[in-house]
Amino acid sequence: MIAELLFATFFGLLLLGIHRKVIARIQRRPGPPVWQEILHMLKFSFKTTWVPATASTTLFVGVVLVAIGIWTAALFVVLSGGSLLVIFAIYMLHKIVEHGFGLSSGSPYGKFGGVRSVISAASEIPLMVSVAAIAIFTKSLMISDIVAYQQSYGPLLFTVPLAAVAMYVVLLSKMPFGPFSIVESKELVSGYKTEHFGVWRAGLEICNGLKTYVLLLTFILVFAGGLPLWTILLLMLLITMSLSFVCALSPMLSPYDSVTIQTLIAGLMVLYVAILGVVS
Amino acid sequence: MKKQYALALTLIAAVSGIGAMALSLWNLLPSWAYAGVLVIGFPLFVLGLGLYWMAREGEADIPFLGY
Repeated sequence: MIAELLFATFFGLLLLGIHRKVIARIQRRPGPPVWQEILHMLKFSFKTTWVPATASTTLFVGVVLVAIGIWTAALFVVLSGGSLLVIFAIYMLHKIVEHGFGLSSGSPYGKFGGVRSVISAASEIPLMVSVAAIAIFTKSLMISDIVAYQQSYGPLLFTVPLAAVAMYVVLLSKMPFGPFSIVESKELVSGYKTEHFGVWRAGLEICNGLKTYVLLLTFILVFAGGLPLWTILLLMLLITMSLSFVCALSPMLSPYDSVTIQTLIAGLMVLYVAILGVVS
Repeated sequence: MKKQYALALTLIAAVSGIGAMALSLWNLLPSWAYAGVLVIGFPLFVLGLGLYWMAREGEADIPFLGY
């Protein structure tokens, strides 16, 4: 498990580095090296670290521990074929963690980032109604059962493609520099993480690496089924690059537009699931 | 936080994780308990190691208020 944990952290960070590189190349910039996010994590580990005078020390530090802990738990849930509902619960916890990051520092930028995190949660989490479409066919939300179902009936990507689209929007919402990345937009400096520097930011980078790996792995297992490891890693790379294209070619939306679009997609998904429920 | 406390935290987290791995390999610890040790120990190890390297023991800073 320790090996899987370290691999997931570093591969997730590598994917985020590739994400930045692809965006830069599309925009005709040289961009950073693909291992930049790994270097970021190491760099922040060596930087001077302290707690701002206006911060709530317990929350300021504790929220970093919780951020890493919940995505470590999420990795083990996915690897053990646990319930999708647990993954989504952890996703919701992450939104609370982002809120905690923003509120703990006492900085106005962090607070606005935290508030935007809650706003975006209101529209991102309903997107997970797509799991209902999966449950109609698999009769289970255990990842191991979903993988077993696909071995018999083929990938769910072809059975419930719109559910895959909704989950893809969830992935897109969590990628940096994307149209829905309102929690980190530039008018807020770095949003909820503005005040978390040094070791705290290194911890957050590790959390981001794990989160990217876990969400992509979940998407692949749920919609493509159990595949050899090298195929899963290749698919992760391809999905990341496709997300990079979307991020590079679309502007960051205003908070209002971001929530509106995600809510509309969630509404369409509810309709889709209702139709599937009636038809099947 | 004093550096020796950070070092102690790092070592406790590392020893707990490696110990849990060893016990799990010998079937003396169920895998869910091993995972639980890592869920708690990994964040403590990461922060403890970083704090041991670079944490200051001086005064706190004011928050960032703009460029």
